[in-house]
Amino acid sequence: MRPILEVDGLTKDFTPPLSFGKLIKFDLGRGIPVRALDDVSFRLERGKILAVLGPNGAGKTTLLKIIATLLLPDRGSVLLNGSGLEEKIKMSIGLVAEEERSFYWRLTGRQNLEFFAALYGLDRKTAGARIGELSELFAVDYAGKRFDSYSTGMKRRFALMRGLLHDPELLLLDEPTKSLDYAAALSLRGFIKETLVKARNKTAIIATHHMDEALDFCDLFMVLDKGRLRAFGTLEELRKQVGGPTATLGEVFVKLTAGS
Amino acid sequence: MCKIPLAFIKKDFLIESSYKLAFLANIFGVLISLLGYFFIDKLFGRMLVSHLEEFGVNYFSYVLLGMAFFSYVGIGLGSFSSRIQSEQAQGTLEAILLTPAGIPAILLSMALWNLIFATMDMAIYIALGIFLFKIDFTHINILSAIVILFLTVASFSGLGIISAGFIMVFKRGNPLGWIINSVEGLIGGVYFPITVLPGWLQFLAKFFPITYAIRAMELSVYKGYSLAQLAKEAGFLLLFSALLIPLSIAFFKYSVKKAKTDGSLAQY
Repeated sequence: MRPILEVDGLTKDFTPPLSFGKLIKFDLGRGIPVRALDDVSFRLERGKILAVLGPNGAGKTTLLKIIATLLLPDRGSVLLNGSGLEEKIKMSIGLVAEEERSFYWRLTGRQNLEFFAALYGLDRKTAGARIGELSELFAVDYAGKRFDSYSTGMKRRFALMRGLLHDPELLLLDEPTKSLDYAAALSLRGFIKETLVKARNKTAIIATHHMDEALDFCDLFMVLDKGRLRAFGTLEELRKQVGGPTATLGEVFVKLTAGS
Repeated sequence: MCKIPLAFIKKDFLIESSYKLAFLANIFGVLISLLGYFFIDKLFGRMLVSHLEEFGVNYFSYVLLGMAFFSYVGIGLGSFSSRIQSEQAQGTLEAILLTPAGIPAILLSMALWNLIFATMDMAIYIALGIFLFKIDFTHINILSAIVILFLTVASFSGLGIISAGFIMVFKRGNPLGWIINSVEGLIGGVYFPITVLPGWLQFLAKFFPITYAIRAMELSVYKGYSLAQLAKEAGFLLLFSALLIPLSIAFFKYSVKKAKTDGSLAQY
């Protein structure tokens, strides 16, 4: 069976913008590019949860954004269900970014979700039913209140609900439990693992700094460092790679990213 | 098909109506600016009589329509760039572009509320003109006025979308916005007929669509000119639209691609 996601040779450089100091000296060279991703390739089977681990600046968010079509790679390709078409990819993925500013704060949570549901092509009835279903799943009873009155954790729940509005096959989560209290984080992890992945055969990619969280609910682990893919596989496979049969995920991570 | 534009209109209406003082302040602003021109007319209006003969009105009537129409053009068509800038600053642009809604649909929908708001603005100008300043609009040729308005919106949309493309890439310092708002206001015949200007400026004015739009609108409203009589102005506006709209959409798509390559989609 074809993997849901095929990533081949993704490479991305970011060139620093022209500084004012250089501009007044007529030095129009744009500086040395920073390589955010360097020839990253992997395959992901349907129904798996992949943790993307890496130090700050390793390229985790860049990878998620390229898969989500928000960023164009310099080289390489992303195929979702065998297709590289942007429209198809957009319909099949739900991105929950770290950014909590991506809502209209003067609207209510429900009004925000209704707006994005229309952009995903959902009619009013379907959108209403879906928002009701998600509100129940996330135990949200404050959807009628203005977004700027929510706590960070409440906003996070809405970011997750928006990511799930169109029932995507692949969920991309950037630090999903950041700002959630312990119980909410636990409940979210349970929801992703049991409801989305096990019961509905969805696939998820989670960028996180938390080893415990990754270990708790991910099947596969990817370690990125300075844009390069250092390891990809199950914990057993990663242990073999670093030669530590009893090493914890944290120890494996430290060995793979030593020097960063 | 209407789902996306309606969603944007609803969203923008809800946001705008949450700022309750803004609408009243807008009416007050229009009234104050008109009063200024009303007294300028009292003082200097007679000096412009020869330049206004063609339109058959006094200076105040001319400038009221010019401003009402230019405000429509300015707000309505600066709206593409202002909406992009506002979505970038709010952090919602990435979330919008993550959806499968196409770029032309998103662009059009983003500008709709501003166009509706500008129409309300124009209605305030006209209502104040009729009820407070007793201006006579009875000679209007409604068909000509509507066609000229439509062609003006179409041709300025092209410029507006190009402005939005600049904003997408450079975030600030949109040169077209400056041209639309300053140069066109000065030489396009908004505040006075272009015959007042020196010859070389009158020649330059011929290259700006606002010149044709204002002249055609003044003549259709105050002199009741038919479309046949306004064929030259309408033809120029049509030409500007036919050239600018496809070019601007291609330019905007290129700008989005450039922002996605630079990773600057969410920056502002």
